[in-house]
Amino acid sequence: MSVKVLIIDDDPDILIALTLILESQGYQVMTARDGLEGLGRVKMDVPDLMILDLMMPRMDGFAVCKELQKPEWTKYHHIPKLILTSVREEASRRRYELEMGVTLGVDSYMEKPVHPDVLLENVGRLLKSK
Amino acid sequence: MNNKFPEVKPDGFTPEEAAVTMRVRVFVNMRWFAILAIIFAAVIASTVFHIGFSPLPVYIICIFLAIYNAVLWRLTRNLTSEQTGFVVPRVKHYLYTNVFIDLTMLIVLIHYTGGIENPFIFLLILYVILAGIGLSHKTTYFIATGAFLMVGVMVTLEYTGLISHINLEGFMPPDQYKQASYIVAILVALAVLLYSSTYLTTAVSGELRKRQRQVVALSQQLLVEKETELDVSAKEIDKLEEEKKRFLSFLGMAAHDLKAPLAAIQGFLWLILTGYTGKISDKQRDMLDRSSRRINDLVNLISDLLDIPRIEAGQLVQEMKDVSLNELIKRCADDFSTVAKEKGLDLNVEVPETMAKIKGSDIRLRQVVTNLLSNALNYTLWGSVTIRATETELEQRVEVMDTGIGIPPQELPKLFYDFFRGSNVSVKGTGLGLAISKRIIEAHGGKIWAESPCPETNKGSKFIFTIPGKS
Repeated sequence: MSVKVLIIDDDPDILIALTLILESQGYQVMTARDGLEGLGRVKMDVPDLMILDLMMPRMDGFAVCKELQKPEWTKYHHIPKLILTSVREEASRRRYELEMGVTLGVDSYMEKPVHPDVLLENVGRLLKSK
Repeated sequence: MNNKFPEVKPDGFTPEEAAVTMRVRVFVNMRWFAILAIIFAAVIASTVFHIGFSPLPVYIICIFLAIYNAVLWRLTRNLTSEQTGFVVPRVKHYLYTNVFIDLTMLIVLIHYTGGIENPFIFLLILYVILAGIGLSHKTTYFIATGAFLMVGVMVTLEYTGLISHINLEGFMPPDQYKQASYIVAILVALAVLLYSSTYLTTAVSGELRKRQRQVVALSQQLLVEKETELDVSAKEIDKLEEEKKRFLSFLGMAAHDLKAPLAAIQGFLWLILTGYTGKISDKQRDMLDRSSRRINDLVNLISDLLDIPRIEAGQLVQEMKDVSLNELIKRCADDFSTVAKEKGLDLNVEVPETMAKIKGSDIRLRQVVTNLLSNALNYTLWGSVTIRATETELEQRVEVMDTGIGIPPQELPKLFYDFFRGSNVSVKGTGLGLAISKRIIEAHGGKIWAESPCPETNKGSKFIFTIPGKS
């Protein structure tokens, strides 16, 4: 069975590029345009990995992570997350770390644009450490 | 007075209440003294000067005065527990009552000790002076007039024989009180002295009280003014804080929106370049490579430009946590090991195994170290690049030394200016790297500067920055 990756990003071009990269490696890719749609996708079909944009309309990446920490989402806690951001802003990372009570590894926080090789490397590492 | 609210006294009185109560207390103390003085005078008069008069009424009056004074003393002591607002009228009531009783007692005492014959009749003046210090000038004139009228009534009653006159035997001739010229002289002198001392004391104390009121009013006005000023400043600070927040969020949005399309373009270019979309010719690859690099430069320039106001707005403080400089430097140097190897340069990392943690922004300090290492490697064609960290109790110090082209001495002071690029460099850059590094280091309370040639090797250049220790 192929590995399922859910990409949540509001930029359709990013979705196209990432999908192309991941599908070329045999991953099964699902996409969502914002946090709410993404959560719906998670319920429908549990992904093995989530790639999340931070700044999105309706529900941003922070909100998705917070929502997933709630008890009713317990069975989805284990899903590894890769944060993608287009802003070089340490403050947002600190905010994430403080609010989630976790320290983000280098693998799970990337700044756009992401080189295909780097992306695949990080995705592979996250799935292995799962 | 450095008390913030000068109108509140320790015992909870307003200045007016405190002043009024204080006056009653002074009167009570003076009265004890007066009682003792009267007894003393009576004893001396009868024993030393053998003046013939009956001392019994004097002692009775003194005992009465003592009892009444003790009662008054108790009353004023209990005032502290009174409710605010009741103190002033009550104390004024005490004052008027005891002035009346005092004057009556004094007149009765004088009657029993010779009436008009007694020179102590002039003690009334002392009483008026005391009243003038403590009371309003209207009240004082009223008291002076009352005292004079009482004396007049007493003298008239004695003169007409309606009450018996007591002669001070051996001190005054027995019929002195019937001598009109003497009586008139004494009364005129008494009146003149009473009114002139009333005028003098009320003028002086009235002026003093006016000043006191002015001082209180002025200090209260100042307090109100200062409070208004503080209010205005606080509002301004809030407004500035609000504007800063809006500005930063605007910058965040701008950074996001400027970079999003570039990130998409770069993503597609990389896809093509890495062969995800099929084979491309070498010419195509070259063009796309150049495009990709230019996009990269643009992304970096936008990041740099947006970084400056963020750092200047103090955003860094929010990012600060405990940082180990030695680990940070090692990580950065690792990223450059491939580049150094490709250029055939030695990259030496001389950092202690352990270093005290400092409060800093990990990503920003990494930006500085990366910038310094990248510059050193870019501008060095052969030789070595060395990064070294040392620490003292006060500060931690990082040095980056190279054997490169160095910096012309006249350009050293301009090195950290925005958009400044060396005249002897051909390598591309935004000219903002060092300017941003300087802002980052200064936001950490540190210093950054450059020396060229490097003093140790007499070649290339040396960049140094310091960060203060945590304590």
